[in-house]
Amino acid sequence: MGSEGDPPAAPRDADADAPAVELAGVSKRYDGTVAVEGVDLRIREGEFFTLVGPSGCGKTTTLRLIAGFEEPTAGRIRFGGRDVSGVPPEERNVGVVFQNYALFPHMTVGENVGYGLRFSEPPGDASRAERVRELLELVDLPGTADRDPESLSGGQRQRVAMARALAPGPDLLLLDEPMSALDARLRERLRLQVRAIQRELGITTVYVTHDQEEALSISDRVAVMRGGTPEQVAPPRSVYRRPASRFVAEFVGDNNVFEGVVAGPDDARPGAAAGTGSSDGTVPVDIGGETLRVRIDESESEAAAAASPSPGDRLTFCVRPQHLRVGRAENGLRADVESAEFLGETTRVHLDCDGRDLAVRAEDPLEGTVVVGFDPADAHVIDVGD
Amino acid sequence: MSDGPRLRDGSDAPDHRRDRPARLRELLERRALTGLAAATVAILVVVFYYPVGTVLVESVVVDGAATLGVFAAVLRDPFYFGELARLFAGEHPIAVARALLSPDRRLGIVGFTAYQAVLSTLASVALGLPAAYLLARFEFPGRRTLRSLTIVPFVLPSIMVAVGYVATFGRNGTLNALLGAVGLGPVELMFTLEAIVIAHAFYNAPLVARVTTAAWESVDAGAVETARSLGAGPVRAFLHVVAPQVYPAVLMGAALTFVFTFGTFPIVLALGGFELATVEVFVYRLARDLNYAEAAALAVVELAISLSVLGAYLRYEARHTVTSRGVRPLPRRPVLPSAPTARELLSRLGLGVYAVVAALVFLAPIASMVLASVTGGDGGLTLEHYRFLAERQRTGAAFQVRPWPAVRNSLVFAAASALVALPMGVVVAVITTREYRGRKLVDAVAMAPFAVSGILVGLGLLRGLVFGVEVAGWRIAVAGSAAIVAAHAVAGYPFVVRTVAPGLESLDRSLVESARALGASRARVLRDVELPLVWPGVVAGAAFAVAISMGEFTATVVLATGADAYTMPIAIERFIGRRLGPATAMGVVLLVVTGVSFVVIERLGGEYDGI
Repeated sequence: MGSEGDPPAAPRDADADAPAVELAGVSKRYDGTVAVEGVDLRIREGEFFTLVGPSGCGKTTTLRLIAGFEEPTAGRIRFGGRDVSGVPPEERNVGVVFQNYALFPHMTVGENVGYGLRFSEPPGDASRAERVRELLELVDLPGTADRDPESLSGGQRQRVAMARALAPGPDLLLLDEPMSALDARLRERLRLQVRAIQRELGITTVYVTHDQEEALSISDRVAVMRGGTPEQVAPPRSVYRRPASRFVAEFVGDNNVFEGVVAGPDDARPGAAAGTGSSDGTVPVDIGGETLRVRIDESESEAAAAASPSPGDRLTFCVRPQHLRVGRAENGLRADVESAEFLGETTRVHLDCDGRDLAVRAEDPLEGTVVVGFDPADAHVIDVGD
Repeated sequence: MSDGPRLRDGSDAPDHRRDRPARLRELLERRALTGLAAATVAILVVVFYYPVGTVLVESVVVDGAATLGVFAAVLRDPFYFGELARLFAGEHPIAVARALLSPDRRLGIVGFTAYQAVLSTLASVALGLPAAYLLARFEFPGRRTLRSLTIVPFVLPSIMVAVGYVATFGRNGTLNALLGAVGLGPVELMFTLEAIVIAHAFYNAPLVARVTTAAWESVDAGAVETARSLGAGPVRAFLHVVAPQVYPAVLMGAALTFVFTFGTFPIVLALGGFELATVEVFVYRLARDLNYAEAAALAVVELAISLSVLGAYLRYEARHTVTSRGVRPLPRRPVLPSAPTARELLSRLGLGVYAVVAALVFLAPIASMVLASVTGGDGGLTLEHYRFLAERQRTGAAFQVRPWPAVRNSLVFAAASALVALPMGVVVAVITTREYRGRKLVDAVAMAPFAVSGILVGLGLLRGLVFGVEVAGWRIAVAGSAAIVAAHAVAGYPFVVRTVAPGLESLDRSLVESARALGASRARVLRDVELPLVWPGVVAGAAFAVAISMGEFTATVVLATGADAYTMPIAIERFIGRRLGPATAMGVVLLVVTGVSFVVIERLGGEYDGI
């Protein structure tokens, strides 16, 4: 991670390999508080890239830095290899959509969509009026040009905001929690639509959301942010299956995180080969009284691959609730049922295992004491340390 | 650069499609806001800070040598500071305190000014709070109209109000006529403290009522209902929930009232004469007697007191700003209760008594003025005063004040100063509603004309720009009329700021950012998005600027000396010295012209936040 002390990268002219947007060691501090710290991101051309994290993690500030509403206190932002420091937002050729729509209330829908065309020629040979009509059709709101924004529903306003941002043909679309003011069902429908439009136009898109489910469903790649810094940047499936940190593991979806110590041969089960690792690639981990076997797959986890665990090492791993099988005694634990939430397709059952909270999935609500176990291959090693 | 994003008009990307004039226009547009801000600063410096500065310099430079002697003399003069002067002269504080507590204490001019300002503030709050209660908590026909009428006294020319009070309380005023009709002896209220305090309340009680009503209306009914459900009775709910949210507004009204009445001039000049002179009147008198150094020193003392009160209030405000707008305001009650209880009847009775008092204070002076303007010496109805005005217009000598030039000058000055004040106010509003370090300082510097004595500004303009300044061998002099327009613009633009800034402040920041991301420069955003959305506030600001200009007396009286640039208020003041009749007739003319201009302009806009 480049720090602000590094010499600035040699000025590069725009080249084909340069990422559409690049953040190099970007930090933003306000009097005393750090909003964004040492962010390095490379967003590819045509990519749908999502910044996700809890409130205050710096995701919106990062977006505002890219848009040019704020200037970084350290680091460089480049578009296609070109440094955009000091370039005001109106010259960055970006389209921005805000959570609250931000439609101009004194203009009609058509005037809103056409506003950006006052400052640039419409792309292609279209006239301004044609371009407005085209965009309203794209967002599935034909014939609304003369309407008053106030007369539209929340979802419709959001689509107008999208059309307005796209009308001048920006190189980059920036979406700041564009759906968080809408109800859940509408949100799901709208995000399919947003993704379809993005694919159709092939426009590089940076999307900010606090909703991890939304992030997973819509993105090519996701940056999970925490405390002003991305903790993991990867495609949704990798983030879900192979979280790089305990925070990511617990933020993205339900998860059961275990911390323990790699057990020595003495603790190994009868019949296991001498040494830590067994022939099937698993290691025993003492999680405080109980020993569980976890498979180390070198192709999966950089952390595990970097340091082949030896007895005495601290090891953190996680198992998704759907991989914790109720009634499986092998590689298992006993736990008491605390509560159950009926979610429709499944039931989420909360268990207490000697003060450790566990979550499992079940068809029916459970009661009393149960045994839950998992296949060592379903465990993901997050971290190995000395 | 095949797939990397291109920048709109990247500086290093040669753009052959754009021609030179377009580029120039773009450059101008990008710099438009900066340019306007620079022009505003220039105007403020030339017509406010420089003139005021020169006068201040005169108070510390005597015969080419810097000295604080003039200040020391003013501070130690019991004539100005009463017993406090002995403190400044080095006497023991306890001795001074004892003297202050003794019955035959002397307050001095400054002490008296503060004393009447405190009384005026108390009277204004006492008269303003019931109005706020009525406007915020009751529903009745004409409530909204009454609410908008509360702005009227604020823009009425003070000299006209003074004439109205003379017509009411004077020896031959309506009050004595009424008393005489029922066989009571004449009372002498003119040239008394009471008359001054009532006239000040006329001006400032509506201000207190306005700010308090706004705060009261923004109290969320949910908060009161929560308090009630937690066990608080109506009185405790009021004390614990409503009062803490309303009382900062009352304090704001009181602080502004104190500052305004501390610097009062025309009302005291007309109603108090030199017997009850305040600091401002003395500054005027000293300046008239060409004693500039002492006048300036006294004006500085006055300014220091005003600014410290204002500063103390602003510090308080910074810590107690109520920003939460009530999602659901408290429900209003009908004025006539359907099922009267003892408590309900009591509050209605109180409001009834208040209505009578308010009618006396607010309507009597205007009614009396109108009445006096059509009343002859024998008490019968007559148009002779208006005929006198017409006669004077036809046959008046060059040195005499004629009515038409006064009306014409007032209208021209008002239009010109509004044209200057509007862009100034809008720019300052834009600059002071953005977040940055030093914003408070900019706000204070831009708002200083609110607090600085009009005499001081007028004096500075007169001695500086009007008499002429030598710059690099060139003698630069400004005509009296130009100086008047400048002074009026400087007096009026803070009102534009105060009507425009709240709208800008509450404007969603993402509207501005959306427009910028779409390619609009900062100035274009102001033109296309911000101004259209705060337009009612801009129009209201224009109405204020016009009304302030028409009513402005203090700086004008200094600058119009000798010149034929007199305005309606000056004409009234010149007439009032001789005969009341023509002054009241001129007052009615002023009332009509100001009222019509204000209402017409304000009608062009709509609802706005602020003032």
